[in-house]
Amino acid sequence: MANRIGRIGDLGDHTGVRVLIVDDHPSFRASARGLLEAEGYEVVGEAADGAGALEAVEELHPDIVLLDVQLPDVDGFEVASRLTTNEDGPQVVLTSSRDSADYGSCIDDCGARGFVPKGELSGAALALLLAL
Amino acid sequence: MTVLLLRPWLALAPGALGAGGLSAALTLTSRHEQDKWTSLALVLFVGWSFAFAGLIGWARRPNNRTGMLMVIVGFGVLLGSLAQSNSALVFTGANILGSIFIAAFVQLILAYPTGRLLSTFARRLVIAGYVTALLAPLLSSMFQPHETCKPHACPRNLVLVSHDHASYAITTAIWTIAAALIFAGVLYLIIGRWRGATPAMRRILGPVYVTGGFSFVLLTIGFIVQPFSNVGDVVVTVALLFTFPVPYLFLAGLLRSTLARGAAAETVFQRIPERASPDEVQEGFRRALGDPTLEVAYWYPAGEHYVDVNGNALELPEDTRDRIVTRLDYADKRVAALIHDAALREQPELLNAVAGAARISLERDRLLVEDRARAERYRALLNAMPDLMFRISRQGRYLGFRAQKESELVVKDVVGLTVWDRLPWELADRVMERAYSALENRTTETLEYELDLDGAVNHYEGRIAAAGKDEFLLIVRNITERKLQEHELQASRARIVAAEDAARRRLERNLHDGAQQRLVSLSLSLRLAQSRLRSDPEEADQMLEESRTELAQALEELRELARGIHPAILTDRGLDAALDALAARSAVPVELDVCEACLSPSVEAAAYYVVSEALANVTKYADASLVRVTVGATNGSAEVEVVDDGIGGADPVRGSGLRGLADRVAALEGTLEVDSPPGRGTVVRARIPIEIG
Repeated sequence: MANRIGRIGDLGDHTGVRVLIVDDHPSFRASARGLLEAEGYEVVGEAADGAGALEAVEELHPDIVLLDVQLPDVDGFEVASRLTTNEDGPQVVLTSSRDSADYGSCIDDCGARGFVPKGELSGAALALLLAL
Repeated sequence: MTVLLLRPWLALAPGALGAGGLSAALTLTSRHEQDKWTSLALVLFVGWSFAFAGLIGWARRPNNRTGMLMVIVGFGVLLGSLAQSNSALVFTGANILGSIFIAAFVQLILAYPTGRLLSTFARRLVIAGYVTALLAPLLSSMFQPHETCKPHACPRNLVLVSHDHASYAITTAIWTIAAALIFAGVLYLIIGRWRGATPAMRRILGPVYVTGGFSFVLLTIGFIVQPFSNVGDVVVTVALLFTFPVPYLFLAGLLRSTLARGAAAETVFQRIPERASPDEVQEGFRRALGDPTLEVAYWYPAGEHYVDVNGNALELPEDTRDRIVTRLDYADKRVAALIHDAALREQPELLNAVAGAARISLERDRLLVEDRARAERYRALLNAMPDLMFRISRQGRYLGFRAQKESELVVKDVVGLTVWDRLPWELADRVMERAYSALENRTTETLEYELDLDGAVNHYEGRIAAAGKDEFLLIVRNITERKLQEHELQASRARIVAAEDAARRRLERNLHDGAQQRLVSLSLSLRLAQSRLRSDPEEADQMLEESRTELAQALEELRELARGIHPAILTDRGLDAALDALAARSAVPVELDVCEACLSPSVEAAAYYVVSEALANVTKYADASLVRVTVGATNGSAEVEVVDDGIGGADPVRGSGLRGLADRVAALEGTLEVDSPPGRGTVVRARIPIEIG
């Protein structure tokens, strides 16, 4: 695990880093998958809501969960809290088409590693957050 | 002539004396007058009586022609006496002109008391009188059958044509009939005038008409009988005797009003008690002026109109023949007016004296009448108020009440009860607490309360004001309706706010889920395409193509959203075009009929949303094949109607969309009706006042 994180911390090479994309909009999931895979990430799965995300993490053990804040069942902060209670759990990066300022301190308090606005999503942006 | 008009005495008094002297000289030296002294006495008495009484009247009433007519009668009588002359020329002339005074007397009676002839018939009668008075003696003289003078022969008749008895009989018959007809006409007129006269006018006409009328009756009989019998002469003489009092009656009337002038002021004050009520003042005037129909009108400056003695507004009538108004002004300031019988105008001195004396007392009474007018106004005001009013003692006992409808009273027999008997104790305590405050501080206190009447909650507003030291007024207004409206208004406002919040949330959600997501994907796709531009241009090109489609969809979604916020076409091109666009997008065929009325933007917007919401409902629920949309303007309201032929059964209470519309329409003081019987389609009808909008 530590090995993987070490690789994640490397800004240039994301090869083999396993990502789970959680968003209720298929169009975003498809675009994000294309973008991340083009930069060397391995997208191991997708989920459309909070419950699906928890199940997929259990099953797929991703390194990173790219998690939308607004989900149809529970919100992204709740999902992030649950995922990060376990030290062996994945790194959670929250994303939204809203600005991070709209969420105040929720992002810091829920245990997530950071926040990427959807429009600025890239492999480099993910790597930068995880390197901090 | 000017001297004659201004100072009739100067020329005519010496003239009358001279004519009398001449008459005396001629009579006393006459060779054909049998009874010189009697004849002279008769002529001088009658002639001078009319002449001098007439001159007095003329001087006292220059504007009244009665005096002048009396002078003419007097001179006419003196002129007739010239027939005593021994000169053939004077004898003949006087014989012909000697009856003129009778025509003048006819005119005098008919023109009495103003001296003016008021009707055409009277004027014709008088003209006929003068013509007859000239022609009859002329014709008689022309065909005189025999000598009539004794003891000596008459002077020669210069106009004698023949002694033909037949001609004389015919001419005499003709003018006797003419005279009889004229006298009958006079009687007819004076009887008619008497019957139409007011009591005051009868007092003026009475003496003259009685004597004058009687003499005319006798004259008529005399002239008819004369040709056949000497009794006729006797009757005519008696008739003339009856005219004697006429000038003296006129003079007496004149002297009476002159004397009355001095007594008038005293009369007014004597007739009116020291602290008289306006009614007593009016009664005093009626007695002082002898007119039981007189009305006193007081000037009421606050209302700028006259009021009667009871304080009711009164408009002064126009002057008529029977009734006139005398205004009593004091130094250009209106004080009062007397509305009275026109006959009092014939006694101007009396009227002036009474009016002058009256101004002082009326000025005082005016204040009294003003008080009454004010009280009358307050009474009217109270009567116009729909409120319940109670007089309540300091101890809380009802002393009196006023209710438009008895059903408004909780308990009907109010007087004598206490507030604790009629009202719930807690409320009664509140009322009395406010009442004490009102009595102590002289303020108006208010309180609102509810009462359960026949199972329905009624809201009341009570106002309490002190009325004296130990009594207060409680004025109660039922404000249930107002409370319900306030409640409905609050609920409607709350619904509008809630609907607005929901709309914002929906909008944010729609933006977030729709256009925003597409733009995010687009951004990512573009970045991916950019990274592939060199390594895999073909795939990059395909990605750009997909992005273009995505962008077009994002744009369409944004447009749809914008339309939901406010349809731009409504602002840019008006209601007609906006409804056209709605109809074009509707899934159910729409027949549109929009009249070109000038509506304000808010009314247009409301009309648009009514149609938009109704069409959406038709599409979703109605299962209709046709919708008819009509927008018109009638009676100051815009009327929007959406009628479909669907399954009906729509419930306006349950649908939040329709309720939101109802609120929107109500905010513009309009109404929204939904009529949707099951199986017979739905009618949604909104009426919105154009002015308000």
